Amino acid sequence: MLEVHALEVAYGAARALWGVSLSVHAGELLCVVGPNGAGKTTLINTLAGMLRARGGRIDFEGRDITRLAPHRFCEAGIALVPEGRRLFTGMSVLENLELGSYLPGPKARRRETLAQVLELFPALRQKLASPAGELSGGQQQMVAIARALMARPRLLLLDEPSLGLSPLIVHDLFAAIRRINASGVSVLLVEQNVAMAMEVSQRAYVLEEGRMVAEGTPQALLAQPEIARAYLGV
Amino acid sequence: MPSLSLLSQSILSGVFVGALYGLMGLGLGLSWGLLRLINLAHFAFAFLAAYLCFQLAAMGMDPLLTLPILVPLFFVLGAALHWVMARFAISPFNSLLLTFGLTGIAESLIQSIWTADFRKLESRYAQLKFKVGELYVPVPELITLVLACALCFALWAVLRYTDLGRAMRAAAQDAPVAAAFGVNEKALGLLLAGTCAGLASVAGVCVALSFTLAPSQMYAWIGVVFAAVMLGGLGSALGPLVAGVLIGVSEAVTMAVTAPSWAPIVSFTLLILILLLRPGKST
Amino acid sequence: MKIARTPLAILAAGAALAFLPLLGLPAFYDSLLYLALHWIVLATSWNILSGYSGYFSFGHGAFFGAGIYTSANLMARYDWPFLWTLPAAAAVAALLGVALGAVVFRVKGVRGEVFALLTLAITFVIGTVVTNTPLDGGNGVSLAGVAVPKLGPTPSATFYLLALAAAVATLLIAWGIQASKFGAGLFAIHDDEDAAEVMGVPTYRYKLVALAISCALAGVAGGIHALFLSYVTAGDVFTIAVPLTVVLMSVLGGTRHWAGPAVGAVAITALLYSFTAADHAVAGKAAIGAILIAAILFMPEGILARVARLWRGKAAPAVAAAPAPPPAAAAPARPAPCRVAGQPHDEVLLRVRGLAKSFKGVHALAGVDLEVRRGEILGLLGPNGSGKSTFINVVSGHFAPTRGAIWFEGRSLNGLPAHRVAGSGIARTYQIPRPFAHLNVLQNVAIATLFGGAVRDPAAARRQAMQWLEFTGLEDKRDAHPDDLNLHQRKFLELARALASRPRLVLLDEVLCGLTPSEIDDAVALIRRIRDQGASIVFVEHVMRAVMALTDRIVVFNHGEMLAEGAAHDVMQRPEVMTAYLGRALHA
Repeated sequence: MLEVHALEVAYGAARALWGVSLSVHAGELLCVVGPNGAGKTTLINTLAGMLRARGGRIDFEGRDITRLAPHRFCEAGIALVPEGRRLFTGMSVLENLELGSYLPGPKARRRETLAQVLELFPALRQKLASPAGELSGGQQQMVAIARALMARPRLLLLDEPSLGLSPLIVHDLFAAIRRINASGVSVLLVEQNVAMAMEVSQRAYVLEEGRMVAEGTPQALLAQPEIARAYLGV
Repeated sequence: MPSLSLLSQSILSGVFVGALYGLMGLGLGLSWGLLRLINLAHFAFAFLAAYLCFQLAAMGMDPLLTLPILVPLFFVLGAALHWVMARFAISPFNSLLLTFGLTGIAESLIQSIWTADFRKLESRYAQLKFKVGELYVPVPELITLVLACALCFALWAVLRYTDLGRAMRAAAQDAPVAAAFGVNEKALGLLLAGTCAGLASVAGVCVALSFTLAPSQMYAWIGVVFAAVMLGGLGSALGPLVAGVLIGVSEAVTMAVTAPSWAPIVSFTLLILILLLRPGKST
Repeated sequence: MKIARTPLAILAAGAALAFLPLLGLPAFYDSLLYLALHWIVLATSWNILSGYSGYFSFGHGAFFGAGIYTSANLMARYDWPFLWTLPAAAAVAALLGVALGAVVFRVKGVRGEVFALLTLAITFVIGTVVTNTPLDGGNGVSLAGVAVPKLGPTPSATFYLLALAAAVATLLIAWGIQASKFGAGLFAIHDDEDAAEVMGVPTYRYKLVALAISCALAGVAGGIHALFLSYVTAGDVFTIAVPLTVVLMSVLGGTRHWAGPAVGAVAITALLYSFTAADHAVAGKAAIGAILIAAILFMPEGILARVARLWRGKAAPAVAAAPAPPPAAAAPARPAPCRVAGQPHDEVLLRVRGLAKSFKGVHALAGVDLEVRRGEILGLLGPNGSGKSTFINVVSGHFAPTRGAIWFEGRSLNGLPAHRVAGSGIARTYQIPRPFAHLNVLQNVAIATLFGGAVRDPAAARRQAMQWLEFTGLEDKRDAHPDDLNLHQRKFLELARALASRPRLVLLDEVLCGLTPSEIDDAVALIRRIRDQGASIVFVEHVMRAVMALTDRIVVFNHGEMLAEGAAHDVMQRPEVMTAYLGRALHA
């Protein structure tokens, strides 16, 4: 479904990604792990259209989207849950969700999607009118995921959803992510928390200093020394 | 101390002029709050529109009927200006300087076409007035009040309740993430800039209806309108209206109690206080 | 004492021009030249505050007006002789400026467009007050009866000579400031006031002094102009015209150079004259507006800077993009004094007890006890969100701790703001480098030497800065601007700036992030050299290779607490650390 070939991304003079390739098959739940500074957020932001690649290619459902304008990625069927949530804090939770379904396609099915999303995250029912900035970290993460789902994407990109959250909340969050995947949405997850990421994914990549260094099933990867070396240096 | 009826009349005229401050400030504040551009050319647009309205009225047209001509014209002008500024990636501060230059050009243009003589729009509205109890309600000022309230409320409703308004607010806060959900910031920017210029032209027509025009008059409004915008809050549709009325009434009362030449002190002192006490909220 | 060439040139030009009235030109020319000089004074004086420090004031009219009205009133009502009113005008304008500045500069958020609007509003308030009080009374002040002193063959010549003297003085002052430590501080404030403050620049004091000088000079110009006009009205003076014109002249000529506003003033005066002479005064105003727009769009740095760049491009052959010499190869010059390192680390330099920091209920740091010993390199590790960066920010004074105590060299650091901590001997780098964008590399380090290293003389500061550049291998790049550097070089520049204040403790926040493997090797070598120089180092890092190679000891944070401590290789293999990073899965 998503094919990334030899992606090169840089911030001005500083190169962040060096020839990164990966693929996501329809219906998969895939994770990319790696230590800080490895380039995970850069990768996700490029796939969501917020950054422009300097080289390489991104194919989504057979279409080359590498040079697409930033606001067209959502139309193509890709939705983003950014690092640090990045909710529109000046607006209420409901308004954030409505913004998620801004495009004509999702807008037409807004009511239906909203009902589905509230079933997934019942805790948000009470908070619809609250300003998004007043919610707790875990609740904000739920809103961020819900907002992305409102766009009815076929591929959901999640950037470090566990960041700054307590283990219990993380556990619930990942259960929700599993449910989302089960309903047919492909998921690409980028995480620093190797444990949780490996538990939910079917396949994983390891990114280190801007390069893909390993790929495989979680079990296979954990048996290899790459991860330990990347994270622990031993 | 002036009599009660004089005071009430003053307060009423303060409300009228305050509504005009608010209408003038509407486009300026939206542009500053949502587009991060301080558009002094807003005043140039307003006064150009005022003079054009005067000209068309002198040729026999009803001033209110000039609106359907002027508003689309200035919409296009405003969008074009925004396009240029976006192309050159102008910072908020430089936009202040650049639009200042435009204001100077506009003033010269106005002066060369209409000279520096005072011009007064003669229309059938000018002489009409109602009497409500002891108070006189002049029709041109009433039209201004109605237009100001209608437009401010309309924009408030759009920003608050429509998808378009939400998209603009989202893009103003975090444009990259808004784009990730399909919001085309560039197109919205042009739309908003054009709308603000259109609003300026409506304000200009109102100025022409009630005031005598002279090219240098432009600058007299800058201070007061900025005060209304900052007091009312950047990016707010109703704020400048409320603030404008507050300023207008305080000015009018000051004038009634002391002397007209003291009036500017009210708005400028308020502006200074706001800038000192809440600088963070202003930008 | 060696006198620089520029002030001599200015004085010489002034002296030469002083003989102009003897040529017997019609009075019209004297007046035209007077105007040009008058605007040179106004624009240059404005630039001293606004151009150099970046605080664009739209209130120059207020101070100019204060000068005019002080002089006019003293002459008309109290019969003061004209020349004596000039120092009075300067004093009143300066006092007004300082009074306003004392309040306005205290408010943190007042910068940029807010400051511009504020000063504009102040102008109108003062104008209204003047109009409504006996100072003007609505009728203006007439000076028809005041005698013009006989300094030149004719009255217009007199004004010309006075304006010439004022212009020469103003230009000398502007040049002097630019070349001094004071000026360097103003330029630093322009680029990044917060960073400048942390580096030790006394920002509040410097801004006030610049404002005072600017106002005093504007006041003198006002005093002279009052008699020149011989009839002053508030409505003409306290307007937007003066600020707009001086902004235009300075932006056109170039705000970063003492001569920029003068160039702009001459250009605009000539332009306006040619329009008025051709009877197109109105078109003249439009032309001014058009020029301002063109300047903002195409020449934001001003004429002078553009010309200077063209000149430099022709004079020196284009410096080819030579590969930066590998820093490790060069034998670095060691700025004296240097301490011999290598003894066992036992003296405690930094002691932290029970340090805690919470943000809105989130415990970023939950009670940390830590010691850093002299001469050691200590690594701070931990997963994202574990508190490492918060720790650095609290120790360096950027955040106040919620609980706990910090001692450095036996003195308590509790509650000290960032710039005082920096002054105590602790320096830090930032994850995202924040160099002063408009200054070149050498100047960037020189600022740190001047204000952090407490050197008085800019020339000495530059020499020392050069030594630090050699130490970090950046000596070839001394004339480059930060934008021209790659990330690696920018990080080294950060390091050079941090070292220039000769700190005993250096805090590095993810300084290796984003570097290539060979660049990391260079950086590691540099960090070792820094320790050999005598500084102790605490660094937050994720690049494990570097951590293994450099550190004597590491500390692992998790959820705001210290999880483990000891030698790197040893600690990273402990089960609790592996779990913190990789989770239970590894042991499954």
